[in-house]
Amino acid sequence: MRVSKEFFEKQVLGLLGALEGVARRLTRNDADAEDLVAETVSRAWRALDTLEHEAAFRSWMFRILNNAFVSGLRRADARPKTEPIGGADGEEEEAGFSLFEQMHQPFLLWFGNPEQEFLDKLLREDLERALASLPEHYRVVVIMSDVQEFSYAEIAQTLAVPVGTVRSRLARARGALQKVLWQQAGEHGLKQAAAPCPEHDDKARGINHIGKGGIG
Amino acid sequence: MTEKEMNCEQALRQILAYVDRELSAEEHAAMQEHLHACKGCFSRMEFERLLKSKFGALRDEEATPEVSERVKALLKDF
Repeated sequence: MRVSKEFFEKQVLGLLGALEGVARRLTRNDADAEDLVAETVSRAWRALDTLEHEAAFRSWMFRILNNAFVSGLRRADARPKTEPIGGADGEEEEAGFSLFEQMHQPFLLWFGNPEQEFLDKLLREDLERALASLPEHYRVVVIMSDVQEFSYAEIAQTLAVPVGTVRSRLARARGALQKVLWQQAGEHGLKQAAAPCPEHDDKARGINHIGKGGIG
Repeated sequence: MTEKEMNCEQALRQILAYVDRELSAEEHAAMQEHLHACKGCFSRMEFERLLKSKFGALRDEEATPEVSERVKALLKDF
């Protein structure tokens, strides 16, 4: 279908913040993100005939952005800088990883509401760092689902994969993400702070679960 | 447990799709029934929901001036 230039401009400008945010998290670099957004808009204009209907504009644009990102990686022969945690063999393990379960292990003596305390201490930087550490094929689905709040069907359209693939990839991606957040928490003393003290009542002494100023 | 009731294992398998509002109406209702009855699964669901909302708060509503200017210049040339 061919939409008007006015429609195209209005839609692009309305999506610009989201396009830039996704581009920045994919490229992990402001200058590359700017180039990627510009490349996406140019490609979209040239490919306007491939837009099937106006309502599909958002997923169509993000599909072009993702394709431009992937082809940019190929052109530069730049493989994603992070590999799947534990390698491809670790994917099943990632799918099963749960921060919630980690915080409720019997050897960690928490008091009150550990998961709420953990969430309260999470800073924007912690989340961005954890996201940036994910391999690209996981990062993209978390960005689409959790940051941009796309439906599974929209993500499937954007990435040109079946909805079932979105669901399973998202489960593995979130497991990997939570694993990174848990590792970050460990680096900053969360797990040690929560470890049991066999002789004393930790509650009475007060446990500093997470270092001041976030976990990252 | 009746045939239609959900157990914790089934609930945990579907908890992310529930948080993402991607369950069918029937699955959603079964999950809600289970969550009303099971404090453990409810806590897990709340944790996943709040963690997701933390990532949602990262969403960028506005483009930077650099990107905005560059794209506007591009659009003029189309």
